[in-house]
Amino acid sequence: MGCSGSVPARSSGQSGGLNNLENAGSSDAKNLRVKLVLLGDSGVGKSCIVLRFVRGQFDPTSKVTVGASFLSQTIALQDSTTVKFEIWDTAGQERYAALAPLYYRGAAVAVVVYDITSPDSFNKAQYWVKELQKHGSPDIVMALVGNKADLHEKREVPAQDGIEYAEKNGMFFIETSAKTADNINQLFEEIAKRLPRPSPSS
Amino acid sequence: MENADVFLGLHDFLERMRQPSAADFVKSIKSFIVSFSNNAPDPERDSAAVQSFLANMEAAFRAHPLWAGCSEEELDSAGEGLEKYVMTKLFTRVFASIPDDVKTDEQLSEKIALVQQFVRPENLDIKASFQNETSWLLAQKELQKINMYKAPRDKLVCILNCCKVINNLLLNASIALNENPPGADEFLPVLIYVTIKANPPQLHSNLLYIQRYRRQSRLVGEAAYFFTNMLSAESFISNIDAQALSMEESEFERNMESAQALLSGLSADMDGLSNQNDESEGQISVEQLIQSKHQGVNSTKEKEHLTPVRSSESKSVKKVTFAKDQEPITKVPSLSELENKGATMLLKEEKASQVFQEYPYLFAQVGDLTISDVEDLLNNYKQLVFKYVCLSKGLGSATSSLPSSVLPSQVQLQVETMKAPEEHKRVELNDESEKDTSETNDSSNQVLNSNEEKVESQLPEDEEKVERGGKNDETSK
Ligand SMILES: Nc1nc2c(ncn2[C@@H]2O[C@H](COP(=O)(O)OP(=O)(O)O)[C@@H](O)[C@H]2O)c(=O)[nH]1
Ligand SMILES: [Mg+2]
Repeated sequence: MGCSGSVPARSSGQSGGLNNLENAGSSDAKNLRVKLVLLGDSGVGKSCIVLRFVRGQFDPTSKVTVGASFLSQTIALQDSTTVKFEIWDTAGQERYAALAPLYYRGAAVAVVVYDITSPDSFNKAQYWVKELQKHGSPDIVMALVGNKADLHEKREVPAQDGIEYAEKNGMFFIETSAKTADNINQLFEEIAKRLPRPSPSS
Repeated sequence: MENADVFLGLHDFLERMRQPSAADFVKSIKSFIVSFSNNAPDPERDSAAVQSFLANMEAAFRAHPLWAGCSEEELDSAGEGLEKYVMTKLFTRVFASIPDDVKTDEQLSEKIALVQQFVRPENLDIKASFQNETSWLLAQKELQKINMYKAPRDKLVCILNCCKVINNLLLNASIALNENPPGADEFLPVLIYVTIKANPPQLHSNLLYIQRYRRQSRLVGEAAYFFTNMLSAESFISNIDAQALSMEESEFERNMESAQALLSGLSADMDGLSNQNDESEGQISVEQLIQSKHQGVNSTKEKEHLTPVRSSESKSVKKVTFAKDQEPITKVPSLSELENKGATMLLKEEKASQVFQEYPYLFAQVGDLTISDVEDLLNNYKQLVFKYVCLSKGLGSATSSLPSSVLPSQVQLQVETMKAPEEHKRVELNDESEKDTSETNDSSNQVLNSNEEKVESQLPEDEEKVERGGKNDETSK
């Protein structure tokens, strides 16, 4: 089953083939380059969210994706700056949980995803937030995402719980649906706005 | 060839270094390399020194008239060339240079050798629909090439190629199944499985080496992501216990013990077989055949013939092997025994190359092939793999996973070596054998580094007494 019901075998956010080793431009004040790590239980929709985001705004005729584990996507903001997200997926299975610090080390953004129909996944999200607070870099931008918002009839985690938890922990909160594409772009735009900007002088 | 571009980078870099105006660069590079021989290994300090040296030199290139008007790509390629040159020279001095790392390598490799006997894809959450052991052999192969190279970038490329193979396989499977493209949930478990099956040589040291000596500004983006996955695979593997594989404690213990028993039986076999390559139990006579060729190339540089150097050795080995058979591990002749026998026969054969004549692609060079050959080649390849795997299975499961070495690329490599040893890429702008710190015990690495990739590059002398016969002047001594 695909994220959206369609059969999108191709995608394109890819900046280059796997052997493209060169540093494709570095950050400056106008063009940020940002490492974003995805955390959350298996099945909450991390891959779908990223594919939605990356597919939505790219010419699908360019490159065949190498998968959804690493994708990059650049967005342009109103102030004519651009942000290139390099999105690092992490394995959500329990046996790999201890490996997560290798991935979020040095990340500028952490997106913690849960499924609004699964209280377990909300608990797991809280676990990740605590981990990040303990071991992540102190100025990391964190977003809490309640996904599968289209499944409101099966909702088990009230939006209010997400809002409150995020507020208490200084995070940005949003509910999304990768299926309907609801709030997907907003998620990344809001993150982009919250990024610390390097001072133009440096 | 995957690394051709960087090879060109090195070539271009060396060309520029031969310009009179580069004399200062040459001096700094040489004195930097020499400075290393004065100190005992200290990974932290060494890595910091290399990183800042590379950064400073790159900045200096950028500001220098030699690169005036050059594009970012050209500057980047100069940086790659410099990194490759410096690290090739420092390799023996900084790679696996402290006892702790060597020990970790050994422990990891021993553990993998045990775990690979019984781990199943299910133990790692690899979905049945994504399981494809035959194709994973290709990914294993890429990882096993890691010690053929000295430069951090080249080693990194082995890892990235492995990841690429896995990704392509997963992607194809997901398309066939009409599922989402594979994410980390699908990718990481397969990478771990492939790594266990490959048991790449000196994994820990290789990863540390890349981490320390690959120029940091170039270990970013996608390369950084996949490299992190490799680190993560190493970490997972070194901590594998019953729980990590969702096994009962007792079941895990039992598996480890019988793997141990099997291995000690096998290694008794192997001890006799191989006295030069202790890295990988799985590397057997086809490999030996190749290695003996490479040794020949490396040490004598003379035109080669298939000489029966090893046949007598191999024969005496046979006896040892069969003597050991009282330990009832191998009742049927094992795959390695069969292969060994065949290789020995081949070595004795007068015109060994004629045996291969009916395999049309074996003597082909990359340039000879056209796109229309791909289908044919692929079919040939699939048949070969299928036959091979069936044979292995037929011989019993214990041996089936051992030799992943019978893949066309290797056979081809061997034949190429046999056919055209003079075509090896070598950069020798200037033969100065004195005062080169890293060349002294280079011979210890000859087995590890394929001749094909050996870059014995030289910077010109400080004063310019550069005489240059041709591009590949092998005879300038
Ligand atoms: N209804 C609905 N299903 C979703 C949504 N996002 C993902 N899914 C489904 O949830 C399952 C797991 O999604 P996936 O992206 O693979 O989760 P991951 O393991 O976190 O990467 C898939 O079957 C998706 O089709 C969503 O927003 N709404
Ligand atoms: Mg996923």
